[in-house]
Amino acid sequence: MRRNYALALLLLALSFIAVVAWQGGDGAMRAGIKIGESMPDFRLPDLDGKEHSLSSLRGKNGTVLIFISTQCPVSNAYNARMEKLAEDYGARGIAVIGINANATEPVDVVKRHAAEHNLKFTILKDHGNKLADRLGAQVTPEAFLFDASGKLVYHGRIDNSRDESQVQSQDLRDAIEAILAGRQVAKTEARAFGCTIKRAS
Amino acid sequence: MKIYSTALTLTLILSPFAFGGCPTSSERFQQGSTRDGSGETTRDARATESAPIKVSEINTNGLRELLGRPAQAKRPLLINFWATWCEPCREEFPDLVAIDREYRSRGLDFVTISLDDVSDIDRGVPQFLREMGATMPTYLLNVVDPEMAISVVDQEWSGALPATFLFDAKGTLVYRRFGRIKPPELRAAIEKALNAKP
Repeated sequence: MRRNYALALLLLALSFIAVVAWQGGDGAMRAGIKIGESMPDFRLPDLDGKEHSLSSLRGKNGTVLIFISTQCPVSNAYNARMEKLAEDYGARGIAVIGINANATEPVDVVKRHAAEHNLKFTILKDHGNKLADRLGAQVTPEAFLFDASGKLVYHGRIDNSRDESQVQSQDLRDAIEAILAGRQVAKTEARAFGCTIKRAS
Repeated sequence: MKIYSTALTLTLILSPFAFGGCPTSSERFQQGSTRDGSGETTRDARATESAPIKVSEINTNGLRELLGRPAQAKRPLLINFWATWCEPCREEFPDLVAIDREYRSRGLDFVTISLDDVSDIDRGVPQFLREMGATMPTYLLNVVDPEMAISVVDQEWSGALPATFLFDAKGTLVYRRFGRIKPPELRAAIEKALNAKP
């Protein structure tokens, strides 16, 4: 009887843990910021070590945060496209900011990589992936577009293919054009394959 | 009191192995078993130890069919998404090959899906599999827009690689891992799925 009781208790405890383990899970459900929620204010250093608050870097008409990597071939396939995006829309009041949250990519490596690939947009280092955690960023490249009032209006890929010749769906550009025209963003989320952000710990 | 502490101790010891059991919505994995011939490809691609490595293309429909396996399957299914350009994917592959060796004869189906360019289907992908000594069926996902393929597998998945999913014999997703696998955790989930009564 005593043994049965202990066994029952054990099973109960195990099933509870199984539930918690599944819910809390392995890294990274797509929790994080939802469409319509406000951009959190974070202070992050740029590649020269100077700290910026995200709010001070916001564009007049909107802000794009893109999680990037120096090592990920998918992110690297987008270097030229990201720089072009920053050039095209910088003049139209949209700030494009790169975020490097990979624990395996120190700031001097990120700085050298940006110079080598001619990335002139602002890049911030997210030490300890605090911003990535808050936004729920998982992959590189992964974009978050906030409108002029700082609300998230698009989250996900830049476009449908790392191979530029296969691009059919300009999801991020379409979303930016929509907010510039004062329209609703038609497709608010879209995914593509990329590299897992390498988090600290 | 003693009972409690014994139970607690056991619980703590066993807790890393207690992943998996909570049923989740499986409807989306059951639906849409379209007949587009990819069922045939499944058998063709099942390499044996001596057969040359053949990687077949798969599209979103094929993926959907693979996941919504016909009723005769009744075996847990492990799926790993990877690419030769993905460093952590390459790093974890020997562990996956070992898991395939150990569990296939015990009733596990294991399929890997490469996200390499289709131009690598006869070169880079089979070459890597050969180097790894891998014999599990491998497909190369060839889709123009990956959004639907990602959704078919798991709504929670961002598309980040590597990603590993375990479906039980009923087709319910019972374990997922984004990023490099933790072999003890994955083995525990597989053991659990294999031991579950259908």
